[in-house]
Parts: sequence; C-alpha cells; structure tokens
Amino acid sequence: MLADMKFRLRALFRRLEVEQELDDELRFHIEKETAKHRAAGVPRAEAERRARVAFGGVDRIRNDARDARGISAFDTIHQDLRYAWRGMKSKPGFTVAVVLTLALGIGANTAMFGIVDRLLFRPPAFLAEPDATHRVYLTRIANGREVRERHFAYTRYADLVERTAVFERLAAFAYRTVPVGTSERSSEMTIGAVSASYFDFFLARPELGRFFGEAEDVPPAGENVVVLGHAFWRTAFNASPDVLGQTVQIGPAQYTVIGVAPEGFRGMSTGNMPAAYVPITSLPRTPAYYQNYNWSWLQVVALRKPGVSVDAAHADLTAAYQWSWGKEGELVSRASWPSAAEVSARGRAEPVLVARGPDADANARIAAWLMGVAVIVLLIACANVANLMLARAVARRREIALRLALGVSRSRLVQQLLTESVFLAALGGAAGLAIAEVAGPILRTTLMGVRASEPVASDPRTLIFAAAVTLTVALLTGIAPLSHAVRENVGSALKAGAREGTYRRSRARTGLLHFQAALSVVLLVGAGLFVRSLLNVRSVELGYDVDPVALVYGNLRGVGVELAEPDQHALVQRLLEVAASAPGVRSVTPVLSVPFWSFESRGVPIVEGRDSLHLLGSYTLQVGNADYFATIGTRILRGRGFSADDRVGAPLVTVLSESMASAIWPGEDPIGRQMRFGGFDDALFTVAGVAQDLRGEAIHGEAEFWYYLPADQFTALEEESALSPQFFVRVDGRAEHHVETLRKRMQEEMPGASYVNATTLQELIAPQQQPWKLGATMFVAFGALALALAAIGLYSVIVYTVAQRSHEIGVRMALGASVRDVVRLVVGQGLAFAIVGIAAGTILSLLAGPWVEPLLFRQSARDPLIFAGVAITLVLVALAATLRPAIRATRVDPAASLRAE
Amino acid sequence: MTDRVDLPQGTLDLLILKALSLGPQHGWAVSERIQQVSRDTLQIPQGSLYPALHRLERRGWIVAEWGASENNRRAKFYELTRAGAKQLAAETATWDKLTAAVSLVLRMT
Repeated sequence: MLADMKFRLRALFRRLEVEQELDDELRFHIEKETAKHRAAGVPRAEAERRARVAFGGVDRIRNDARDARGISAFDTIHQDLRYAWRGMKSKPGFTVAVVLTLALGIGANTAMFGIVDRLLFRPPAFLAEPDATHRVYLTRIANGREVRERHFAYTRYADLVERTAVFERLAAFAYRTVPVGTSERSSEMTIGAVSASYFDFFLARPELGRFFGEAEDVPPAGENVVVLGHAFWRTAFNASPDVLGQTVQIGPAQYTVIGVAPEGFRGMSTGNMPAAYVPITSLPRTPAYYQNYNWSWLQVVALRKPGVSVDAAHADLTAAYQWSWGKEGELVSRASWPSAAEVSARGRAEPVLVARGPDADANARIAAWLMGVAVIVLLIACANVANLMLARAVARRREIALRLALGVSRSRLVQQLLTESVFLAALGGAAGLAIAEVAGPILRTTLMGVRASEPVASDPRTLIFAAAVTLTVALLTGIAPLSHAVRENVGSALKAGAREGTYRRSRARTGLLHFQAALSVVLLVGAGLFVRSLLNVRSVELGYDVDPVALVYGNLRGVGVELAEPDQHALVQRLLEVAASAPGVRSVTPVLSVPFWSFESRGVPIVEGRDSLHLLGSYTLQVGNADYFATIGTRILRGRGFSADDRVGAPLVTVLSESMASAIWPGEDPIGRQMRFGGFDDALFTVAGVAQDLRGEAIHGEAEFWYYLPADQFTALEEESALSPQFFVRVDGRAEHHVETLRKRMQEEMPGASYVNATTLQELIAPQQQPWKLGATMFVAFGALALALAAIGLYSVIVYTVAQRSHEIGVRMALGASVRDVVRLVVGQGLAFAIVGIAAGTILSLLAGPWVEPLLFRQSARDPLIFAGVAITLVLVALAATLRPAIRATRVDPAASLRAE
Repeated sequence: MTDRVDLPQGTLDLLILKALSLGPQHGWAVSERIQQVSRDTLQIPQGSLYPALHRLERRGWIVAEWGASENNRRAKFYELTRAGAKQLAAETATWDKLTAAVSLVLRMT
C-alpha cells in the first residue's frame, strides 16, 4: 500500500523525470533489438525498421505505461477542472452570479461563526480544563426577587476560598480601564487585576520572566508587580527582552515588570485583550476592602477537583456563601440582617463563558440568532445557485445526452459535474473569506465591543468552519443538477432536437423557488419585528433629556497622591465654574449617579410607621444643585425642585421619584413628609417635591426608585470625602458638538497627571438600544439580501419557462388567447411563488415566534401588521419579477409558432 | 518461423515474474529470455511489456534500479521483491492447477 502510494506520488510529482526515464528505457530496448537483428546480418536501416515495427507505437506504450503507473485518477481530476474552468469562462455572467451569491452566503456565515464561536463555544485560550472550570454566581432573594451576582467583594472571594472544599483552586479577577504610562504619553487601557492563582488555570508559560505568586498578592496591599500582555509588550516596548525590571505607570502607581504573557493569552476575557496583569491586592485604594463586603468588583472562577460533580460544586458554593453571608451580618451588626436561609443564599458553578451562563446579555442571544439567520441566507444562496445550475443542466441536456450516448460512463459524468460545483463553491468560499475578513471585525466591534480586530483568515477554527461550509455548499448545489443528469434519458433528449419541443415543468426548480420564498418571508418577518422593537426602544420615555446633555468627569487617580478633602472640594467648584462659563452651556450640576453607568446607593430609607420599605425595591441616590432638574430635563410633578436656598444649615430636603413616593405613601400626598436615609446618622429630610420617573438601570422592567439630595447638604453630611468632579452639562443643541471644548477647558484646571473625560448621555444609552439596533440592521440586511436573491431566482425561472413555452404561447394565441390570458399565464406562476412563500413562511415564522419573543422589545411576535406588510412586499416583488417576461410573452408571433409546427 | 501462440489473458505478469526470479534483468532481456526459453513459441507483445513492468512495480512485486548493462550502457534493471516472489509462487500454483484441470478435461474420452 505504502509502496503503491510512493510510486504513484513519484509518478505524479516527478512527472517529467519519470517520463524521461521511460523514454530512455524504450530507446535502450530498441537499440538492443536493432543490435540483435544486425548480429543476424540484417542491414542497419532494415534492422532499425524491424525493431520499431515489432515495438509498435511508442506513444501508445507511453500512455499505457502512464495508466499502469496509476496517475490517471489525478489526470481525470485535472481534466475535469480544466473542463469546468472552460465552462465557467464561456459563461462569465453565470459564474460571477454563482460565485457572488455563494460568497455572500459563506462570508456572512464565516463572519458570524467567528463571533458566535468566541462568545459561546471557544474556551479561553490556554485554559487547562475548560469543562471543569466554572464561573461562580451567587444568588439570594431580595425585595421578593432573585438577585444574581457574579461580581463580589474581595472579602467574599476570600470566604469562598476558605470555606469551599471541592475545588482545586479558585481565582478572582477584574478588568479596569485605567491610564497607563506617564502623563503625556498615557492612554486608557484595559488591565486585568488577577489573583496569583489565576495563572494556574492556564497551560501558559510566560514569554519572558514569570507570573506573580501568592506571596505577591496578599491583602491589604500586594506587590506592585506587573505581567505585560504580549501585544502591549510589542507595541509599547518593541518586544524588548530588557523590559524585565523596568517600571510602568498604571493608574496612580508604579509597577515593576516581572514577566510577559505568551502571545494570544487573554485570560478569561472575551472582550478587549488586557494590556497587563497586576495582583488584585495591588489595585484597591479603599481601606478595609478585604474586610468588608461593600465593593463588589471581582469575578470568580473555580476549577472542580477530579470526580466532583457539578451539583456537589453548587452545594459547596452554597454552603460557603451562607457562611459568608452570616459573617457579613455580624460585621454590619444590623438587627434586621436576615439569615442566609431567609434570603435563600445559593452559589452556582456555571460555564466559564459569561454568554453561556445565566447572565448572557441580549447581544449574545441575538448573535446566536444572527448565526441562524446567516444559515438561512446561506440556504437561500444555495437554493439560488442550485436553481441556476439546474437551469444550466437542462440547457446542457443535449450535450450530456450526447456524451452518454458516446459511452461516457454515468459515474464519470457525476464526477465531472461534482468537480464543477466543488470548483464553484471553492471560488465562492475564497471570496466569502475575503468578505468575512472585512465584515468580521466590524461585527465583532458592534456585537462584542472589542476594539482590536483579529484576522479571520489566520484563525484555524474559522478556516475549518469555512471549508466545511464550502464543501456542504458544493454538495447542496451539486445534487439537483446531478440527479437531473443521472436520470437523463438519452434517447428522448437526443430526439428532442435543438428546439426543446416539449415544456417540462421542473418540479425541482419550482420547489427550490418556493423554498426561497418561504425563507425570505421568515427573514422579512424577523426584520419587521426587530425594526418595530427598535422603534419601541427609542420611544421609551427615559424621564430625562438625552441629546443636549453631556457628562464630564475628572479622573483624579493619576494625581499620585490623594487630594485632601478641601482641595478636592475647591477643585470641583473651580471645574463647575469653568464648565458653566463655556460657550453654549446653559447649566451645570454635580451628580453622583449616572444613568446606565454608575449608581450610588445608601440602602433602604427609613420612614416612621413604614417598616417594610426594603421589600418595595432598591433605591438609587442622586445629588444635584439648584440647576439639576433643569439640566437633565426631568420634570417636577409636584412640590418643587432644589433651589439655592437648600444650602448647608437650611432644613434638609429631598425630592423623590414618582414611583418611589407613591410606593411609600400610596394614595397620600408625600410633600412635607419626613424620612431618613442610611449613612447620614439620623438626619431627617423633608420631602420637598416629586419628580417624574426615570430609567437609569434598565430600559425595561419595573419602575426604578430614585431620590435626590441637594449637593451642598449631601457633601456636608458625607463624612469621608468630597464629591468627585462629575457633572451633567446642558448645552444648546446637541451635546456631542460641545464635549471636546468642555474637556479641553476643564483639563487646564486639572492637577498633575489627572485628566478629564467627556461623553454624552446619548453614548451611555446607545448600548441599551444596541441589541435591537443590531438585530434590526442585520435582519433588514439579510432579509433584503434574501428577497433580492429570491427575486432573481424567480425572474430567471420565469424568463426560462417563457422561452421554453414561447411555442406553446404562440399556438394558444393563434387559437384565440388574448393578451390578458397570456399575461395571466406568466404572472400566475409568479403569484404562485408569492402565495406558497407567504403561506409556508408565515407558518414557519409563527412556529419560531415563541423563541424570538423574549428578544423583542414590547413587541408581539405575531404582529399581524408585520405579516401583512411582508405578504404585500412579496406579492409586489413577485409581480415586478414577472412583469418583463410577461410582456415578452405577449410579443410572441403566433404565425412564427405555427410555421415552426 | 516457428508457430507462435498468443499469450492467454493475464499470463504476461506471471511470465515476467518468473523471468525475473532468475535474477535482475532489464526489459529487453526479460522479453528475450521468455522468447528463448519458450523456443520462440511465446512472443512477448512488446507494446505490453513496459506497461506491465510499471504495473508490477506499482504493486510492489518488483523494484527498478538504473544500472549498467553488459556493454556498459545505462539500463533500467528490474528485480523481484519478496512480495513478488510470493505472488509468483501463488500464481504458479494457480496456473498448474488450471492447466492440469484443462488437460484433464481435454483428454476426456
């Protein structure tokens, strides 16, 4: 067997050499033969002649020897490829149509696969045991609802490490965007704060130096050592091996480089590649972060010991969490602290990929859906190409019949046709890869929020996928024309002559067409649902103005030393004045909470005579100055907003959101009522006003409870720190035109390496609308593509049948059929396409409805308006595609048809 | 000229293997030897000889090597492999059985 392969391969690849050898061998033979004859006394010329005659044709021997060498199989493929190539060159229009159609289908799928794979399937690179590695979630019941968390305080993580037994190891990590580098060359980068155990989860060896160890990651303050990410090492240090021992400014502190992570190492992150990894304990500036439970910022992963079931892991985590919950209760020493059982505290060991776990966001689910949509587009593309190939197979009927009659075996014919479709699919696949290369990074940015692009073509998993898709496509598109060719009846095809006398309705072609129509309807319905969802999302009343409001905030971390409280207060006042005096600015207010960004909470308010306020919901604290409500555009419904008189020393006042007020005092007037808030000792606030509800945490769901305190009064009561510089700025016109000016002006006031960022509320809200925007965009794009493909398919089929039936039409007209009858004949075929498509597509859409509905925003998946719209669209498209051929049909000359008879 | 007999189908391979079992030979010598030994009764169709040699080589029954012929010309020599020897034995046995059977039938009275 091996000898056989070796021989064949040598024959194939060292072809020239082998042929040369054969020539030498044959010449030698003839010489010997001549010599023999001459020895017998035959004259030289005669001897040579006899030798040659005895030998026969040298060429034939060469051919036979070639066959014997067993390379004919390769030769046939070569021949088939050349045949296919010639066929494609002779019909460039057909070829371009097929390759483009396939390229769109394959490209869309390859690009989507790259995303869905990373989101849902591909374990983090280098991860040693993906199946046994879990992300830890903790759940409890609060306010009657289950609260699920995957970000924990350091203390909680330490508790879990201490109290769990079934895990090999646990690790905690957090991503932070901080300024990296010294002041003028600093830029914001994502860094990973990770526990020393983090690296043990991976089979990764550092490119240089080492990872940090347990001894360097001990609270309260770990060592300032850093492991650089490979990409950051390359860009910032030119991949210099001397980087070890150098220092890098990360946030407020200097870190010493001790190692470089290997190329492609991204830890547990599916988002941006971290630039560097530092010990978790080196990051916090909050005192006692390792003793209290106030700051939930760490994600935790855990590796199950061999032989431990997932259920056992859940149970172990639950026990540890309940213990930790009790410990937290002792710490806060609040009488009303519920027991772990009361809040039914539980731990869960879920898949390490967030998108696979319970916290999968809408983007991940929509990405999975879009993958499905991409597959549908591919199916439509395949149906279209199959249809084109089928049309060509029918046109080549006579050629194929002739070749069969001439003795070409059917298997040979099948091989040839398959070669052709594989060849076309391969071209489509290559073009598709090019499309994916361009579209992939764009999709990844929008779906995953990843900045850096990773090339598609160099990723083996994506390449394998693309190859598999291409092969499937080749088979799918090849089958229809193949079955046609194999069934070919030689006699009838040849007898039919050049003029295809009989009209044969091709059931396969019609079926493919109806299939396309149905799938198009499904995609168009999806497009309609998502567009309506997007409109609904956009029309959600947020309770504040978005367009004219900018958010500016200073980052003081870079200062190096913490500012003293009076200095920070003075800085905030200065910045407020600078912002207020900038051109185009109407008003400015300091704020504590920012919608969809950061929320301040002081626990549950206390109201005399109401003791179940913690069951009502969670309460968000906002502060603002006298201009707050005017700046953000939240309306005051009753009472008043803040004024300049609400200063320190004046009576303490608060404004409540409408839902909060009516939840606490249902049916009563809240104005003038008094209440206390956590964190301000026993300070008693009087309700001065009620503001309209707003959406700041989630764009849908239950009403949020917000309460407002005057900035001055809040600052005076707050013990430890001054307000940080964080303002809403209301401008004339749209905020995005002003952010840069604001940022520059304020930056001039910032001390040291601290800096100002400016953004708009619109930008903070955009991610909330993103899933629907994306769904709408992609469904519309894919739906339009599908419809266009189906329309082209319909058009080509109708044109073809009209051409085939022109004789029949002529005879009918001669027998008295009117123009209307003829048009009806042709257009009827288009309408059948539309009706079957609408019927089948509607059924499919209704069946899929329950699965899509959770992804929609206040939108029924059975919206009759959308279904009707899609039906009308399809009918119009069908009419448009049949109109031209129908007109052509009416111009058939009856006399010519009769003469041809 | 003596009477010549066309080779029955499939016997060419057997004859080549047999000829080569006596030692490495180049193609011409193989055909010459078969012709001589059969006293010119068997004439190797020369057009089939080389394809047959290449086929046998592909199957691994013989190997080829370039060497010098008796008068120092470059020639391709074929040599029987172990697998070829086995094959020869098997085919010879089959052939013997066949001819014995055929002659039995032909001598039927």
